[in-house]
Amino acid sequence: MKKRILTALVAAGLLVCPAVAAEQGVTDSEIVVGEVNPYTGPPALLGVAHTVGMKLAFAEANAVGVNGRKLKLLTEDDGYVTSRTLQSVRKLIDVDKVFAITGISGTGQSTAAMSILEKAGIPTIISVAPATDQFVPPRKNVFVIGQVYSEGIRQLTLYLADKNPGKKWAIITQDDDYGLVVREGFDKAAEEKKINVVYSAKYKKGQSDFSSEMLRLKESDAEVFLAGGIISENVAMLKELEKLSYKPVVGIFWPGRVEAVLKLAGPASDGLYAVDYVEPLAGPAGKAFLEKAKALLPENEFKSINRYTESGYAAGRVLVEAIRRCGKDVTRDCVISELEKTDNFETGVMAPISFGAGKRFSSQKVQIMQADYGTLSYKPAP
Amino acid sequence: MRSGDFKESYASLVVLTDSRWVWFWSAVLVATLVGAPFAVNAYLLSLVTLVLITVTGALGLNLLTGMTGLISLGHAGFLVLGAFAYAVVVVKYKFPSLAGFAAAAIVPALFSIAVGLPSLRLRGLYLAITTLAFSYIINNIILDASSITGGARGIAVQRPEFLGLDFSSDQAFALLCLFVAAVALFACLNIRRSRIGRAFMAIRDNDIAARTMGINLQWFKLYAFMTCAVMTGLAGALMGIYLSFVSVEGFPFLLSIEALAILIVGGLGSALGAVLGTLFVILLPEVVRILFGLIGGSLEAGLSTGVHEVKSIIYGVIIILFLRFEPRGLVGVWRDAKRLWVHWPLRY
Repeated sequence: MKKRILTALVAAGLLVCPAVAAEQGVTDSEIVVGEVNPYTGPPALLGVAHTVGMKLAFAEANAVGVNGRKLKLLTEDDGYVTSRTLQSVRKLIDVDKVFAITGISGTGQSTAAMSILEKAGIPTIISVAPATDQFVPPRKNVFVIGQVYSEGIRQLTLYLADKNPGKKWAIITQDDDYGLVVREGFDKAAEEKKINVVYSAKYKKGQSDFSSEMLRLKESDAEVFLAGGIISENVAMLKELEKLSYKPVVGIFWPGRVEAVLKLAGPASDGLYAVDYVEPLAGPAGKAFLEKAKALLPENEFKSINRYTESGYAAGRVLVEAIRRCGKDVTRDCVISELEKTDNFETGVMAPISFGAGKRFSSQKVQIMQADYGTLSYKPAP
Repeated sequence: MRSGDFKESYASLVVLTDSRWVWFWSAVLVATLVGAPFAVNAYLLSLVTLVLITVTGALGLNLLTGMTGLISLGHAGFLVLGAFAYAVVVVKYKFPSLAGFAAAAIVPALFSIAVGLPSLRLRGLYLAITTLAFSYIINNIILDASSITGGARGIAVQRPEFLGLDFSSDQAFALLCLFVAAVALFACLNIRRSRIGRAFMAIRDNDIAARTMGINLQWFKLYAFMTCAVMTGLAGALMGIYLSFVSVEGFPFLLSIEALAILIVGGLGSALGAVLGTLFVILLPEVVRILFGLIGGSLEAGLSTGVHEVKSIIYGVIIILFLRFEPRGLVGVWRDAKRLWVHWPLRY
């Protein structure tokens, strides 16, 4: 009798064990991934687009399946508010029990979530707003795809300095951490190229009227202008310059390198220089990406595509590949280890992505592009 | 069973409560809250922690706006001051956490004098705009004093450790927040039944009449500002620790509006109202999410990407409904329910 009970207990244990040992967010048929981004308010422009990219990567993978499983994406809106980002990350991990997390909102938001992510040990890919604090010191489970803002601005400034030797420069930046890194990158390049800055100013975040700044810029006779705004600020600056009939060479940065800026700024945006680490949508790689997206995304999602869709897609592809390489036995440890082994992985929307032992930042190569108002697009700069 | 609210002495009029049941249920609530961090999952625990921090801040504003009638739109300014005071003292100057909390209370209190002084001659919308300007000035000072505050980059903050207690776990930190919220609640309840509290309410109801009765308006208005700043500063320090990162960005102006919404929905001038309002405002998105989850389908999917937009719409509608139909807020609903329970089947 005792033996029978023991056998029954062992059998029951064997039945229960796989369920107990099963990885959070992984079932026989699906793998659940969570994403936190702003989907409301002005920053929704980046959040929605990024998630569309992630959905595209998952749709592509689900068409054939990932070792017999489908990928499911759960999204949480943080409204670009740090406390909500933390709530959302905790909800995805503890309530929705996701296997991995992607996103995550802005620089400050993702940096604040680092301790939660590290403690949870959940595979994480940050691909919206890369920043040094996210990968220095490197965290075992957190991988960052992209390039840091300061390096992007440095490259843009170096390019414009080479193209416009001996010219007078102006720079306007936002009075927050974003503005600081923009200035940091600019200052580095300015020192390297001995740039002559004739006008430098900071504006208050949320400022909408730049008439006095642009007037002073004109008075300074600046010939090259680095507009350090994001979207509405850059549009306001360009419109103001147009009103003053003043046409310096203008450079903008990738958070504002969305087609909507060209539409809003009108003809004043023609010829604008921008820097980015994702391919311009009007280039051959961008066109191929759009073709793919058209076939797999519903029309409303297709319409929201911008540069963040490409970064979301690249992050999705990298994650899917790591999961695929784990075979049937998808565990956090395995996926983290496979993510670490990512080497020159081609996504088609940016330079090949690589991580490594102790290397958690892909440090993407940037390229300079130029706006074409006629086609409302950016093309590789000559 | 209670059958009425007859008071036989002045002392019984100002006693915290004359009901043993209230003490009993309060003890049960405290025991539940002390045990909750060990029973709920990390997500619920973070919600509880956020509620407790917000309660502390809302109680501070309730003293100023609810009890004294001084409208403030600069609440986020006191919050950010408290957060930075803690972070600078503990992280930059390596003082112990207790010194950080002391700074989080003292620094906003000192700044409150600066904004409190104009309040002696201003009221209503004029005061609201003055406090709003104060909030912007504080943000600019913090951004410009980057050598001390880290400027726009902010300061990373670790969980505190003091008196031999380690608050690095989520549970321990929630208990610390519970302790601060409970002390703030008791302070508010006791201020209300003291001479100071009565002076605050007299100023709110009619400051000229209050002055003729011998109340020193200057002193009590400044006192209201300073008490509010102390509580809000402590809430700011806890919020900074909760976010693990203190920056001006983490304390947007919207927080000032949200704090006022909490008081209006909860019931202006009531400590219980501040608690109920906080519960309502913080838990509203969760309730909305659960309700939409029950409906399921595309509505639920839509909500997962727009819960805060829906929340904002519902906020607005609810505030309008409260102002129109129940200006006493949730605390009014609570009192009606209590009266119905005590007097039933009689109407009064």
